[in-house]
Amino acid sequence: MNPFGAEQWQTLFSDFHDVFLTGFLHTFYFSVCGLILALAIGVVLGVFSVTHNGALKAIARVYVEFFQNTPLFLQLIFMYNVLPNFGIVLDVIPICILGVGMYHGAYISEVVRTGIQSVPKGQMEAAMSQGFTFVQAMRMIVLPQAVKVMLPMLTNQAVNLVKNTSVTAMIAGGELMYLTDSWVGLYQVYGPGYLMAGVLYFVINFPLVSLTKYLEKRAKRGMVPKRVKRTEKILIKEGVANGGVL
Amino acid sequence: MMTFFKKVIAGVMTAAMVAALAGCGGGAASSAAGTASTAASGTDAAAGGAIDKIKSAGVLKVGVKADVPKYSLKNPQTSKYEGFEDDLAAEIAGKILGDKSKVEFTTVNAKTRGPLLDKGDIDMVIATFTITDERKKTYDFSDPYMTDAVGFLVKKDSGLTDLKSMNGKTIGVAQSATSKDALQQKAKEAGVTLKFAEFATYPEIKAALDSGRVDVFSVDKSILNGYLDDKTEILSETYAPQDYGIATKKGNDDLAKLVNDTVKDLKSSGELQKMIDKWEIK
Amino acid sequence: MAVFFKVFSLSNLNFMLQGVGMLLAVASVSIVLSLLLGTLLGTVKAYGPNVPRAAVSVYIEVFRTTPNLLWILIIYFLVPFGSGLSPMQKDFSAGVLAFTLFTSAVVAEIVRGGLNSIPTGQFEGAQSQGFTLVQTLRYIVLPQALRVSVPALLSQVITVVKDTSLLAAVNIAELTVNGRIVIGQFSGDGAALLLVYGFMALVYFSICFSLSIVVRRMQKRRPSGRPGKWEKEPQAA
Repeated sequence: MNPFGAEQWQTLFSDFHDVFLTGFLHTFYFSVCGLILALAIGVVLGVFSVTHNGALKAIARVYVEFFQNTPLFLQLIFMYNVLPNFGIVLDVIPICILGVGMYHGAYISEVVRTGIQSVPKGQMEAAMSQGFTFVQAMRMIVLPQAVKVMLPMLTNQAVNLVKNTSVTAMIAGGELMYLTDSWVGLYQVYGPGYLMAGVLYFVINFPLVSLTKYLEKRAKRGMVPKRVKRTEKILIKEGVANGGVL
Repeated sequence: MMTFFKKVIAGVMTAAMVAALAGCGGGAASSAAGTASTAASGTDAAAGGAIDKIKSAGVLKVGVKADVPKYSLKNPQTSKYEGFEDDLAAEIAGKILGDKSKVEFTTVNAKTRGPLLDKGDIDMVIATFTITDERKKTYDFSDPYMTDAVGFLVKKDSGLTDLKSMNGKTIGVAQSATSKDALQQKAKEAGVTLKFAEFATYPEIKAALDSGRVDVFSVDKSILNGYLDDKTEILSETYAPQDYGIATKKGNDDLAKLVNDTVKDLKSSGELQKMIDKWEIK
Repeated sequence: MAVFFKVFSLSNLNFMLQGVGMLLAVASVSIVLSLLLGTLLGTVKAYGPNVPRAAVSVYIEVFRTTPNLLWILIIYFLVPFGSGLSPMQKDFSAGVLAFTLFTSAVVAEIVRGGLNSIPTGQFEGAQSQGFTLVQTLRYIVLPQALRVSVPALLSQVITVVKDTSLLAAVNIAELTVNGRIVIGQFSGDGAALLLVYGFMALVYFSICFSLSIVVRRMQKRRPSGRPGKWEKEPQAA
């Protein structure tokens, strides 16, 4: 069967609104909410991991190791199928957002930690010697400087997050991948269907990827060569030039 | 601007790449169903060749389910497929290759059976595949070897008794299965609205039912029988009689004919009924 | 608890371990192939002539912006693997192909970043000694670049291992799929579900966590770049 017959394209365009546009919007919605959650978790845990408080550091470390070393898919199924047996029944949409949010929260906390650590320790010491509390120093002195390095890594994580929303298709998440799958099964038009989905993901992600590259360049600009080299090494190690996918 | 240009190229490349991948798929076996022109087209060479190809491969490749008790179930201990449909596959292998054991089973589900058949990775599908007019445009079907109907599996304490009582409830169905369409039609007639959640495999739907994600598990009744347990019951209401047929790729007329003849013979000789009884399929 | 032994019966365990086998097989082969292909692509993108470089760029962009799951579906549904392969081998090949294509793009970018960090002096030095470009790359530049990229590459290895769970979308018999089949025997029994999922999580976790420990240790050891006077450097995302 020719996967690209003209008839199939016709069906695609007639159903475009219900299937692809809706899916696109849902993916967008999940991504934005998930990203906000992930940022919140990430910043908090990132700061935890650079404190001198053993307990906080441990919390951050355990969370990060757990979420980074188990598959997102498994985490989603757990929330979807196992928790209800213990009385915790969450709706599909919150699960999707929680799922990608918590998962990427772990990665973002590592990004935040890297960023903070790229700022010379002397800054914190100087601030505290001037009477800033730890939190104040973080907020007003360290984090703002850390942000420059963090930005490309953050947008990188954003791209990964968008891509990961596709995993929620496996628990009937209702976003682009799920709707494409379902529609494709109905009409057996898997060629054009998946192609269209690919294009739509590309549409969301390409601007983000371009943003990442731009920020990466900017992070190195305006710094002393030594700082540039160090920043570069950090970015490479983080594989910002697209590491850490999924 | 450079990045815009790149974007366009990347978009084109995605298209080209998928097209290339599909081209390998579409090209290898030339039949192109779904478009009117192709029905009689280009594969007279293949029309005679399908059976020969199977003979030279020495084995019949059949796509079957692995999770439907009595029809086709993969035994986790022996990794063997056991069921009515598996026996049917063996019968056809016997006809073509003279040896009923020369069957190679590939696990399929409702979603993957079509694409795998199209690709040519399997020669035929015997996987509770319902014959519909829509599908007939894409595949060749044998005469029905079994008739079943869409049923409902619900939790005993759900209080659901028939379609009307399911107004507003969520029904779990398999992707690419006919259940959803059939139910939507019936629902419209009965003035009832239903919500649907689709999953790739039946165990997933059962898990969703167990955890309360869906209120009803709906698929062909015979399949439901395999998921019955003491917390659930199958409602007596059934819909949309489903005829199962053996599907082969369009353009392989010789194969389609042989398959159909085999089914007919088995029916008329009573062999088919014996097989059904052997597995205690009601 | 009786449930424990019912769940982890020998046949169930065996079945799930088969899934682990598939997982490891697909992951390891894909990783090796992606490293090879990715290094090649990354090098071309950094130093190649214009046309191949543009082509590689486009390839990378395509895979960078689309989900892995999409490619698994596309390849499984649209690429025929012909006769002569058993169903399991076909599944394996489809999985490997999908992962390799996707991961090489990621590796390419990591390697390119690594290459970019090499001071140009290296090239000049080599060429002054009579090395051709290719020789320079092979003997001088690439080894250094790869060494710098190891943490990021290892992180990607971890990611590939986890992503094999996505093969469940096309019902390839890996750990998650087999685990779910085992669970099918225990529907509704919360304890059994927990045990099976716990087991699966444990397997993934052990593999990935050990790798992540290696990554952290590697980052600790490297004195150059010394960013963290706070603590050790973080693991790559």
